Amino acid sequence: MRTRIHRGTRFAAAAVALALVAVACGSDNKDSSSSATQPASGGTAAAGGAATGAAIKLAVNPWDGSAVNANVAKIVLESKLGTPTTLVALDENASWVGLDAGDLDANLEIWPSGHAADRTTYIDQKKTVVDIGTLGPKAKIGWYVPSFVTDAHPELKTWEGFKNPDLAKLFSTAETGDQGQFLMGDPSYVTYDEQIIKNLNLPLKFVVAGSEAALMTAIQQAETDKKPLLLQFWQPHWMPPNTKLTEVKLPDITPACDASRVAGDGGYACDYPVDILYKAANAKLETKNKAAFDFLKKFTLTTDQQNEIAQKIESNGETPEAAAKEWVDANPDVVAGWLG
Amino acid sequence: MTQATVPAVAAAPPTTVSRRTMTIAVTAVGFVVGIVVYKATRGQEVPSWLNLHVQQHAQDAYHWITQNTGRNWLLDAIKSIGTGIDWLEKRALSLLRVLHWTGVIALVFVIGYMRAGLRTAILASLTMLGVGLCGFWDLTMITLAIMLVAVILAMLIGVPLGVWAGLSDRAERRIRPVLDTAQVMPAYVYLIPCVAFFGIGVPAAIIATLIFAVAPAVRLTSLGLRQVPVVSTEVGRSFGSTGRQLLGKVQLPLARKPVLLGLNQVIMMAFGIVVIASQIGTGDVGNQVLGGLQHLDAKLAFSAGFCIVFAAIALDRITTGERRTKHGAPTTVWIVDRRRMWIACLVIVIVAAVAAVVFGVEDFPSWRIGIGSGAKSAIDWLNENVRNGVPIIGGTGSINDVLTRDVLDPIRGVLLSAAWWFVVLFFGVLGYVSGGWRLALLCSGALVGIAAMNNWDLAMDTLSQVLVAVTISVALAIPIGIWSGRSRWLESALRPFLDTAQVLPQFVYLVPVVFLFRVGRIPGIIAAVIYALPPGIRLVSLGLKEVSFAPREAAISFGATPRQELFKVQLPLAFKSIMLGINQVILMVLATVIIAGLIGGGALGLEALGGFTKPNLKMGDGVAAGVSIVLLAMILDRLTQAWGNRSAPENRTS
Repeated sequence: MRTRIHRGTRFAAAAVALALVAVACGSDNKDSSSSATQPASGGTAAAGGAATGAAIKLAVNPWDGSAVNANVAKIVLESKLGTPTTLVALDENASWVGLDAGDLDANLEIWPSGHAADRTTYIDQKKTVVDIGTLGPKAKIGWYVPSFVTDAHPELKTWEGFKNPDLAKLFSTAETGDQGQFLMGDPSYVTYDEQIIKNLNLPLKFVVAGSEAALMTAIQQAETDKKPLLLQFWQPHWMPPNTKLTEVKLPDITPACDASRVAGDGGYACDYPVDILYKAANAKLETKNKAAFDFLKKFTLTTDQQNEIAQKIESNGETPEAAAKEWVDANPDVVAGWLG
Repeated sequence: MTQATVPAVAAAPPTTVSRRTMTIAVTAVGFVVGIVVYKATRGQEVPSWLNLHVQQHAQDAYHWITQNTGRNWLLDAIKSIGTGIDWLEKRALSLLRVLHWTGVIALVFVIGYMRAGLRTAILASLTMLGVGLCGFWDLTMITLAIMLVAVILAMLIGVPLGVWAGLSDRAERRIRPVLDTAQVMPAYVYLIPCVAFFGIGVPAAIIATLIFAVAPAVRLTSLGLRQVPVVSTEVGRSFGSTGRQLLGKVQLPLARKPVLLGLNQVIMMAFGIVVIASQIGTGDVGNQVLGGLQHLDAKLAFSAGFCIVFAAIALDRITTGERRTKHGAPTTVWIVDRRRMWIACLVIVIVAAVAAVVFGVEDFPSWRIGIGSGAKSAIDWLNENVRNGVPIIGGTGSINDVLTRDVLDPIRGVLLSAAWWFVVLFFGVLGYVSGGWRLALLCSGALVGIAAMNNWDLAMDTLSQVLVAVTISVALAIPIGIWSGRSRWLESALRPFLDTAQVLPQFVYLVPVVFLFRVGRIPGIIAAVIYALPPGIRLVSLGLKEVSFAPREAAISFGATPRQELFKVQLPLAFKSIMLGINQVILMVLATVIIAGLIGGGALGLEALGGFTKPNLKMGDGVAAGVSIVLLAMILDRLTQAWGNRSAPENRTS
């Protein structure tokens, strides 16, 4: 027993000594920890900021648009409102849980179609999260094929083209046999594809790729092999160079079809509704940092503005931070509008 | 379908001719009866009264959590644990940052030197340097800080549990299913609940890592205690030691080696979950891997992936190493030599301070190695040359088609068309033949459980994929393992590849695999094979090397050819180790099932993913699928273990 205590003490002593050294050294070079990943402590003023505000955390979901919005907002929050801002890169579902608990203060780009249940739980019932308005861009989920497919078979520009079994067979793989493959990507997106295929009686088989990365690889593969591919995709989204997709026209949305979507009766047989992207914040943000809350509420970007910044990241290889900074510097009027 | 029984039958030694004939006769009759019953009862599905609605209950439980976070004292208390963990990680990270890269590398060197000697120390510190050369030093330090806290917590929880399990058979029986669940349950199922309980980012990631990695700490501590010679405990007892003294002074010190191996395994497992955990906001190097994959940027994904590999290998080397004293006896006591430890620590601090203050290189310099671009060119080459137009086999595209149509589809077809109770019965009989009534009950009970969770068809789909992946892995692991067990050259040539395959995040090679093959079940199977091969090869080769020299020498002196010596002496004597290798292959393959769901494998993997991708709708489905995966793993694990254990004593007597 005594030896055990002894050994434990020794080990603890060593650990304490190391920690002390760490703290001692730490005070020598305060700026050694990078601010990008270290959350700023609440209430401290950002250097050079006009006013001071409580530190906030913004979600960055894993796509470029989300990174663009969050970085633009961060620059404005820090330089104009003196609010130290931390960006947290995480999955969209984890973001909702974070917004609910107050671990995150806001998420600036939410695609409504995938998060109806989250909205009900956190915004309508629990009221821990508030909707702070639309972001601006309208997004659209739909059926897409690589453009070389419609160049060769113009009839595949609408869903009716897929009624022809011979054309549908162009899309077959080992997994689907005689039927054409319909590929769905990230399972977190809303999907009516199985219903649409069944209700429109198309000779297609629904296959889940399982992730955005796998879907992008499938697109690249189709482009390389010039092998037809039919997939669920959404705009805006980045594309690898020399790759173009064409949307397949699905039947127009009718009141009956929309009612079927709301009822969830499995009778959906038309196009996807337009997604109006919106922003959400933790309900306590308004009292915690009013100025930041008001700014985030007014913050909007058009699709073109978002694309302009995304382009710098994708094509010029700039970091999201640098691209956002350039854009903010070049557009003082827009920024003033958010703050006024 | 009889394939599964073949190893057991083949391994049985010919004690008497009549017994062998009997076995063959019984198997043949069983086979015929099986076929007849299968044909007659085909297509009988799981009755609806069996459905226990596990999905609904789990979904309700998750709904309760989402409704009550921030409003319930218990949930608040749990959340404060998360805050404490977060604080610990911040301290660990600032320690690593204060040491700077020079200090961290020096620390790895010192620990490596004290634990294992100069060679390992140099190797490990060079590997650690590789982390910086890959380009993500600071992000990897965040990962390392998370790992440190998770590993320390895992040891603090795992070792006492292991002591408990090691001292009591009843405890061992109770803990084992919990460990199996922790190890096999896909992390995607509990990731979002972890976030709800402990908060986004670091706390949830540490808890998830802890759950995933704790099992080896418990298992190896328990194993270590059980391996302590009875003589030693008896001596302690006869000198009047209390139970406590016995544990602290005799049993634990003698079990030190397995416990340290447990630490090593915990670290390795923990690195396996880095990329998955980064999806909940850790902001570490795992995020770069994901970002690279999403943008089809193989260079970025591999650079970040190799940061993780290098950090894992460095920690592996300094925790497995064994220092040899002048007398040549291995010793692993390193805490004892207090003076040397203090001097070493001092050296680290001086190195770090000097580097930071004098040279002004607080951040890792911009030296880089082109490992990312190297990997990218290798992939590009593969894509251009292996996909199509390879003589005879045609290329990966046609392999994909043949495997899907002619192997996977027929196997799945049989499993799906068989009456559900027939499959339950079949595994029950298999369990009885392999290990008696207990095992029979476990196998069929687990299958009924899967049926009761309404996951039958998905489970049969997954099972068909697992069978194919295991067959391919074993077919590759045994010959490669035999070869490397007999050739030192091959073994050392293989080691870096096996290490890399084991710790390289699966995500990194998944996407290239999708490109080589096609979205579907095959890429998942290939990824499973890549992941499962290292332990398979290692255990086969270890088994061969551990065969003592005497029987081999005897065989050679009786004029055995090398071939006879291998097949009649070495392989039978290494049987237990080989079976353990197959057992590990199966568990690793099942661990990859969920990952396969991300690249078109569908089945239980995709269903379990629902808990992560649509928690508010599909958490229940995810939980049920996760439990089904655990049950499948238990069946296959216990069956293969039974085969390994049953044949070993017989080998000894023959």
